[in-house]
Amino acid sequence: MSVRIGIMSMAHMHAYSYAGAINEIAEAELVGIADHDLARARESAAQFSTQAFASYEDLLKADIQAVVIGSENVRHRELCEMAAAAGKHILCEKPLATTVADAEAMIAACRYAGVQLMTAFPCRFSPAMARLKATVDSGQAGAILAIRGTNRGRCPFGWFVQKELSGGGAVIDHTVHVTDLMRWITGQEVAEVYAETSNRMFGQDFEDIGFLTMAFDKGVFATLDSSWSRPKSFPTWGDVTMNVTCERGVLTLDMFSQNLVVYSDRTGGVSWVPWGSNIDLLMLQSFVAAVRDGTPVPITGEDGLRAVEVALAAYRSAESGKVVAVR
Amino acid sequence: MVPESPRFVQRQGGIPRDAENVTGEASAPLLTVPGADPCWDDSAGSVTRDRQRREGLDMFRIAMIVCGGMGGTHARCYGNIPGAEVAAVMDSDSEAASRLAASIGARPFTDADAMLSAVKPDIVDVCVPTPWHAEYVCLAAAHRPRGIVVEKPMGRTIADCERMIAACAEAGVPLFPAQVLRFFPEFAAARSQVLAGAVGEVACVRTRRGGPFPRAWRNWYGKYAWSGGIALDLIIHDFDWLRWTFGEVERVYARGLSAGQSATNPELEVEKDYALVTLRFVSGVIGHVEGTWADPGGFKVSFEVAGNEGLLEYSFNQPASPPYIAALELADSGRAAVPVPESPTAVNPYQRELEHFLDCLAKGVAPSVTPEDGMEAVRIALAVNESAAHNQAVALR
Repeated sequence: MSVRIGIMSMAHMHAYSYAGAINEIAEAELVGIADHDLARARESAAQFSTQAFASYEDLLKADIQAVVIGSENVRHRELCEMAAAAGKHILCEKPLATTVADAEAMIAACRYAGVQLMTAFPCRFSPAMARLKATVDSGQAGAILAIRGTNRGRCPFGWFVQKELSGGGAVIDHTVHVTDLMRWITGQEVAEVYAETSNRMFGQDFEDIGFLTMAFDKGVFATLDSSWSRPKSFPTWGDVTMNVTCERGVLTLDMFSQNLVVYSDRTGGVSWVPWGSNIDLLMLQSFVAAVRDGTPVPITGEDGLRAVEVALAAYRSAESGKVVAVR
Repeated sequence: MVPESPRFVQRQGGIPRDAENVTGEASAPLLTVPGADPCWDDSAGSVTRDRQRREGLDMFRIAMIVCGGMGGTHARCYGNIPGAEVAAVMDSDSEAASRLAASIGARPFTDADAMLSAVKPDIVDVCVPTPWHAEYVCLAAAHRPRGIVVEKPMGRTIADCERMIAACAEAGVPLFPAQVLRFFPEFAAARSQVLAGAVGEVACVRTRRGGPFPRAWRNWYGKYAWSGGIALDLIIHDFDWLRWTFGEVERVYARGLSAGQSATNPELEVEKDYALVTLRFVSGVIGHVEGTWADPGGFKVSFEVAGNEGLLEYSFNQPASPPYIAALELADSGRAAVPVPESPTAVNPYQRELEHFLDCLAKGVAPSVTPEDGMEAVRIALAVNESAAHNQAVALR
């Protein structure tokens, strides 16, 4: 029996990738799409050969077991609480929420309703990342000492730069992925954050540069560049990299480096065409399997909350100029 | 603090491996070609050009106060500069002094004062480990040579730097801190591009430098009291280039494997080091510097500058990378078998640096790197250690 899934909001571009992934999974079915923008619901439903629902309520009344939430960040809580109340398992786009209170409410609502909440951190499913994790877990490299990470990108603009919808700029958008990876491989929680931010890329009222330094609770330290510092002419959207210094060596990850390089006179530029594994598909397969089998999702709402806390701490640090405790 | 006088013990075959790792050029080739000097460059084209340029100009007789890796590197660079001649080398280890002197046709000494009195050099080049810089630079200034070169970092403390600046000013002797990165063509070109607006208004800059831990005389790089650790000895290169390119630093914040312990443990000695530094420039540019003495995967350098109209990238020994690399120490030797990176240029940056100083002296113009530049780079590096020690941002102005 296939797992029947609905999508709540296509506001985030990742929702399109998730919809495509659901359609690729034999034991999953994309039952429909709802969106506060009805036209977008109709267009995307047509694109993914499914039906548009007139409202979130209608979608949740349909015969589905799970939803994917792809809305603007500030709407995650409302949609999550609706879905949980309707008894649907949830895969929620990152960042899980824009405040700790919202994230905690989401986690509580899902627990109360007895449904699973998974945070969409597809980077954990990267095969290169899996190799890194396996090397760390094998003990071959010794303990992790320090990590230098980046999640740089082009500025996505749109609602991502409207704080009332996004909760912030580059820091809240791009801190959470690599923070989650760092938590995952170290098994440690971020205790303190220092951050320098600026808006020198675009000069607008959102931060486009964010350099974080983190201290973990058992001694690892790390920095993370979460900036929207890739120019329009950059050959791809951005990067996820980690340089993990261990007791007995260094592990270097460049997650999205499996590309063809295309020089095109038609577009007048250089672009990278990725050929690596589809990590969104791998993540959706994992979510579908957990829903189907009733097993715990591999990445929880708490994982999403922990990453959000780091991003929020970065804002407090940048504001105060001080090292701040995450909790 | 001035520890006992250094004795530099050279190991088998030519320059010891503790030649400073700025690019890997200075020492890495020795891994496979014992005794070869990677600094030496006898490209006919460049020598002809330089000889024409320097014909009819002054001769410079050099006295070297040495003898770690960088002393040998500088000595051989002078040998390749027309119009320059190393007349004497001093090392408190007489065997080391004799060996280097014999290899370049200079007179060996074991006492600096005796050498300076006997030879009356035009240039004194001080390449001893950091904490002895001030002592020897001040001694050299008293002999009033035409110029003094002091290896980076200029001094172990700001007081050391001030003492050298005062002694040289009083003696009227130009002092040239060897911040060699400014003479690396890729770094000079990047600065030119940035200043010409290639990336628009700069928003952020990132640099990365390092490789395996440098093994040297008495593990002096590992002794924080002597070397100042990775911030003062290695990534001071980047601090100088960043300050030169992006202006003064407003504040720094840093975390490191060891930097934070140096304040409370004067005996701190390490065999691995790593630091991550965030800098805020007065201009508003935000910088990040990664320094490693913990990477068995070989020496690597990279940087990027991002602005509102573009991005500039450079990478040495980091070609387009596969998505995963594990560089691990071999279980038996602790040393990884790695290919030796090279990035040859017609004139190596160390020679270009020293030649610049001699040219300026010959022409009576000021060198492009001032003693204050050397001191400011030290100030940034010491602020990094202070930040790591107290876990807070340190304001520089």
